[in-house]
Amino acid sequence: MSGYQHAPATRRVLDSLVPVVCPPEAVELGLVADIVDHVGLTMGALPGRFRGGLIMGLRTYDLGALIWPPGRLRPAHRLAPALAARYFDTWLHGPTPIHKQLALGIRQLIALAHYEQPVIQERMGYRPAQWIEQVKRRRLELYADDIERHARSLIEPDPLPGIAPHPRARTRTKGVA
Amino acid sequence: MVANARPALRQDSRPDGVYTRDDHHGDSVLDADVVIVGSGAGGAALAAELAEGGLDVVVLEEGRYWSTRDFTANASQMIRQMYRDGGATMALGSPPVLYQEGRAVGGSTVVNGGMSWRTPEKILDRWWREAGLDGIRAADMEPYFERVERRIHVRTQDPESIGRDNQLLKIGADAKGWKVIPNLRNQVHCPGSNNCAFGCPTGAKQSALVSYVPRALHFGARLYSDVRVERITRSGKRATGVVGHVVRADGGRGHRLTVRAKLVVSACGAIHSPALLDRSGFRSPSGMVGKNLSLHPNVKLVAIFDEDVRGWEGVHQAYQVREFQDEGLLFAAVNIPPSIIAMTTSHTGRELGELMADYDKMVIAGMLCEDTNTGAVRTVAGQPQAFYQLSDFDADKLKRGCALLAEMMFEAGAKRIMLPFALGDHAGELRGPDDVRRIFADPVPKSSMEVVTVHMMGTARMGSDRTRAVTDGFGLVHDVDRLMVCDASLFPTPIGVNPMETIQALATRAAHHVLENPRRFS
Ligand SMILES: Cc1cc2nc3c(=O)[nH]c(=O)nc-3n(C[C@H](O)[C@H](O)[C@H](O)COP(=O)(O)OP(=O)(O)OC[C@H]3O[C@@H](n4cnc5c(N)ncnc54)[C@H](O)[C@@H]3O)c2cc1C
Ligand code: SF4
Repeated sequence: MSGYQHAPATRRVLDSLVPVVCPPEAVELGLVADIVDHVGLTMGALPGRFRGGLIMGLRTYDLGALIWPPGRLRPAHRLAPALAARYFDTWLHGPTPIHKQLALGIRQLIALAHYEQPVIQERMGYRPAQWIEQVKRRRLELYADDIERHARSLIEPDPLPGIAPHPRARTRTKGVA
Repeated sequence: MVANARPALRQDSRPDGVYTRDDHHGDSVLDADVVIVGSGAGGAALAAELAEGGLDVVVLEEGRYWSTRDFTANASQMIRQMYRDGGATMALGSPPVLYQEGRAVGGSTVVNGGMSWRTPEKILDRWWREAGLDGIRAADMEPYFERVERRIHVRTQDPESIGRDNQLLKIGADAKGWKVIPNLRNQVHCPGSNNCAFGCPTGAKQSALVSYVPRALHFGARLYSDVRVERITRSGKRATGVVGHVVRADGGRGHRLTVRAKLVVSACGAIHSPALLDRSGFRSPSGMVGKNLSLHPNVKLVAIFDEDVRGWEGVHQAYQVREFQDEGLLFAAVNIPPSIIAMTTSHTGRELGELMADYDKMVIAGMLCEDTNTGAVRTVAGQPQAFYQLSDFDADKLKRGCALLAEMMFEAGAKRIMLPFALGDHAGELRGPDDVRRIFADPVPKSSMEVVTVHMMGTARMGSDRTRAVTDGFGLVHDVDRLMVCDASLFPTPIGVNPMETIQALATRAAHHVLENPRRFS
């Protein structure tokens, strides 16, 4: 991980893109800052040159609105919501593959961040942690013997055919993750 | 510099024999019989077999050591921790292919789906015939497959672990009269937590992390996590060891680690092994290092039902539809968290919200395609970059696969289906079985296909002919002494099924060869 943090200019554009990409609940529930923070975490895990390209692309996207006639000399982060959505669409559908790839990339990062918010998952009834706990317990209740048997087999000698157990073979005891 | 330095171990959750970045207090030098770079499917299996055979084995792994209790359903956190480059690596081409590799102790097996299939007999025959590999046909490989299956506990699922999404897939296939079989997976009573891609939180999946790695450690292997190997050292034509550095918590370069060994093994996976060979200056007379990249291109469609499916409750891929295996197509149900579905659809704003409101009614059906084109991995500024062009033939195959899969899901009761490509100028969406023909009637721009893969193969292929292959049939690099490749790079061709078991069986066979020829490697 790179310890990446958004610069204020990057954050501003991302803030303005959340209402464009996400369903209205993102703004209604006051999630914009959390979503943009999450985008930062993902960007931190991307390859450096990829992240650099994204940051430059976001800057170009922001300033590109200055010469987009309906934008009336305002950068993207200052466009009213309906106009911001239209401007984003112009990138998503061309004019070059680079515009399109950048818009797709941004949309993916923001959509991912939105649906990773615990409050959104809760509203959807998506509670995987509960399910995991439930089945984990049931597995141990039903199958403890088989589980133990296999764990033991993992450290039993089982030399390959024709290979004598080696006199130098050392063993340790604490080995299971 | 300290020979065979045994840094003082902190006694926490780590097993004996695992050393992490916190254990390095300066540059160090180690001696070993064998040094293995990478602890995934190939590296871990080889390490366990060689250690049990009495060799002093050191494994170096760039990723971290995580344990079962670290694995949660927090998908994006798990991806950041355990996938290389946050899971966003791209093979360049039109369309670009997004590929994923695990980077952790246990390699990609920690995040894989656990499908465990033997190499199809016709593929092994082809390798024997076309690559001139002896001792590779089904009968020869049988004991190795059997041994791997014992070690990683390959079984079909307990019935109670199978969720509604997989039942619907089977209902659809049965209704069409298509061949559908229970999947074989490396698991001990997997209860279907559906978290395989983010680490198995129950310990049921027998990834290398909980099978081969503990076994290797038990027989005395030493494993250094958080160490990235930069190059293989050599003396003339002989590989003599490796040099790497500790990866600091912020990703920066830490202390230097040198390992001197009698046998050097690259088990970095099909993207990073050719890059390591290239960085180290090994030039194969075949010119094939990094070439011959196959990907099993993969697409998925989202089928939305009227009923509650709750795809996250139950194992993923309990079945495989094998009706079209001869054409190189396999189908399965693969649940994906909502965040990743949202990421891959073309919807935004209110429309995205409406689509995702049906998340609990979705079945995600995926398809694996045995590809006919090959790409390449080139090294750019020391880093691998993959290039791959999906052939028109394979693109048509993926389209046909989507049509078949859509028919099957409508048969199972789906109300609408989102395709992984556009139809003409519109997002690809089918509203009923009659719509399926649009897949062929409307233009499908290849560049609009959302192709992903997790099966990279073939970039240091085996073969008896040194002018056509990088290694011999045991992974020993032609024209170099004591250098082995032991991972998915070795495949001469794609195999049309999930690759993990093939890699582990080849690693077991390679270990057998080394142990049977002690003089050659002492
Ligand atoms: C999400 C996902 C799902 C999958 N599902 C299945 C499935 O169900 N069934 C199946 O058969 N296959 C599946 N696969 C594929 C399978 O897991 C891989 O093909 C297999 O693990 C590859 O084995 P390998 O030894 O080639 O490499 P890996 O298992 O990827 O291991 C390579 C290791 O080398 C390390 N490494 C790389 N470079 C260096 C370096 N320079 N220094 C130190 N360490 C380095 C990496 O960090 C990594 O840990 C899946 C893969 C993924 C990612
Ligand atoms: S589905 Fe099974 S193997 Fe996969 S993570 Fe859950 S318990 Fe583990």
